[in-house]
Amino acid sequence: MSDQVHFEDVTVGDAVPAGTETPSQLQMFFFSAATYNGHRIHYDHPFAVGVEGHPDVVVQGPLQVAVIARTLTDWVSPDGRLVSLSLQNRASAYPGEELRIQGTVVAKREEDGRCLVDVELTEEKGEGVLLIPATATVSLPRRAPVGTGA
Amino acid sequence: MSDTLLTSEARAMVGSTVPQLRGTVYRKEFQRWARAVNDHNPLYFDEAYAQAHGYRTLVMPPLFLRHVMHDSVRLDELRPDGTGGPSALDVPLPPKRMAGGEQTTFVEVIYDGDVLTADGVLKDLTEKEGRSGAFVLVVFETTYRNQDDAVVAISSHSMIAR
Repeated sequence: MSDQVHFEDVTVGDAVPAGTETPSQLQMFFFSAATYNGHRIHYDHPFAVGVEGHPDVVVQGPLQVAVIARTLTDWVSPDGRLVSLSLQNRASAYPGEELRIQGTVVAKREEDGRCLVDVELTEEKGEGVLLIPATATVSLPRRAPVGTGA
Repeated sequence: MSDTLLTSEARAMVGSTVPQLRGTVYRKEFQRWARAVNDHNPLYFDEAYAQAHGYRTLVMPPLFLRHVMHDSVRLDELRPDGTGGPSALDVPLPPKRMAGGEQTTFVEVIYDGDVLTADGVLKDLTEKEGRSGAFVLVVFETTYRNQDDAVVAISSHSMIAR
């Protein structure tokens, strides 16, 4: 995160640096603990499979979402930030499956003195199974003008 | 019995406000969350680093927001699937719940130590037909403010009940 990306560096059509995560049951346990989430489908295998009909315990939706946000903040931090995130939960994921986040810059604009970049993203698993389609807006800093000594 | 999942009793609750929730942002809580996400952004862990980049103190990971508001629950008040506790708004809906989607605008940076309030409203209930049968799409909109009464985020969450 030492190399800050600036508004001028970004062009429509650019790819956002991809993110991946392969949740384990250990990670899912910590995530449920950190979010005070007692929902059995995330840790109680007989309940998840026998009662609710899932093939395995289910990766938490908010964990799937958090890795999208992480992909964006890893890209724009520390001086840029996440301004908005909109998404739909389309499919479930199970422990051991790799989640892959890819994004593309679709617009750049300036609004109220802020430099904003709009991004479309997908989170997928397996052979292109769409878990989450998302759109996001991030703000980025401008490069200091030449001659300011910055 | 009825052939619709969406009862008139539930429908009548659209527009109802959720009792206001309050929560304090604690670094230890959001750091545990960030570690569980493998998100090791120094803005969440290194106060000097955050301040060197113009932030007042440690920054809260934006997606931790909804978790700030959780109250503790009595285990004997949980639903059989382990969710819940005293519900903010007890809408009569089918029991099986899945996340639908969300849309959040992060208006202001939220910091360690901030005291937040959340004002929610039941925005919409819609019955839909999906691949695995009928379900109800439930939409809540929540406005979050900090201790200075500044709006820090506005979030719309949908949930599927079937």
